[in-house]
Amino acid sequence: MNKELEHKFVTELENNQNIVHKVCTLYTNDRDSHKDLFQEITIQLWKAYPKFRGDSKFSTWMYRVALNTAITMYRKSKKRIRTQDYESVIFKITADEYDETEEQQLKLMYNAVKQLGDIDKALVFLYLEDKNYTEIAETLGITEVNARVKMNRIKNKLRTILDP
Amino acid sequence: MMDELELLKKDWQKKEEHLPKLSYDEIHKMIWKKSSSIVKWILIISILEITLPQLLFLFPSFRSAISDSSTFNSGYIALSVFYYIVVIYFIYLFYKRYKEISVLDDAKNLMRKIISARKTVLYYIIFSLSMLFLIFLYYAIGIYISDEALMSIEGVDRLLEKKSLEETRNALFWVFSLSGLAVTVVMGGIYFLLYGLLLRKLKRNYQELKKMEV
Repeated sequence: MNKELEHKFVTELENNQNIVHKVCTLYTNDRDSHKDLFQEITIQLWKAYPKFRGDSKFSTWMYRVALNTAITMYRKSKKRIRTQDYESVIFKITADEYDETEEQQLKLMYNAVKQLGDIDKALVFLYLEDKNYTEIAETLGITEVNARVKMNRIKNKLRTILDP
Repeated sequence: MMDELELLKKDWQKKEEHLPKLSYDEIHKMIWKKSSSIVKWILIISILEITLPQLLFLFPSFRSAISDSSTFNSGYIALSVFYYIVVIYFIYLFYKRYKEISVLDDAKNLMRKIISARKTVLYYIIFSLSMLFLIFLYYAIGIYISDEALMSIEGVDRLLEKKSLEETRNALFWVFSLSGLAVTVVMGGIYFLLYGLLLRKLKRNYQELKKMEV
């Protein structure tokens, strides 16, 4: 790998690092795992970079690699707090002090999203990133119809978590 | 809910300011770090699994014990040739499937390919363990039907000084059968544990994507 390619890659990643950070925020629960996953995604991106032909935007290409790494390639470290326990504690406290403010509502929503499974999280993530169903379907390898169906199910699931 | 998700979307895009920011140098350092991806682990474990049974077969005393006894010789050579042809085929298949794994695939295909590479090793292990068990069994039966085979085993002459031929034959038959079974079960158990642990999460996610198609 030559220096020029290296420089180009690091610069592009530096400019687009938000995407990776957002994936890490969604799939990990503490700072160490966040850093861990960020590093693994960076390695996977770098390894795949020679195959990046530039016929799509660098950021578009990143979504796929980052999500694939988070869902499939990444092995969570043992130190990691089990999602269920961690979230339900926070969830309980916020639910008790529930008030109608927008901020509270958002907090509850974020907690609910974090309780979803890996695949559901990926769908929500792409949705929040304003991707259309065609892109969502292509990234996950499902049909567009199935992506819509799945998204509706997730909305129902979120509703049950928020309003048991 | 629709509105709430829209609300979340707006907030999500605002959140960018609070995300951590890594410098050029920090990212640059990261690209040379070692990956700890599941694919890499599968490669390492698979190579170990492919070589370990080979080491056992190449183990000097194990091999000489078998090849020294002329009764087993022709059968053993035929078995070895067959065994190595199948092993080479498995290695080729694993290599081919491993090479197909690409992080640039869509999520479902990526998972399918990882599982498929891993399955190749699973079949290889089933094959190797069956062969191992067969060799033990082959030996046990040989002892049972042929005195010559029985006598060719190291240390039998000393045993015969204390015990009758029938007793020795019976004892050795059970030793070979049971240790064959024990080795197969223990190695199989360890293997399935490893196989299950590595792929549990991946399989669950794959099933989730796959069941949508039905």
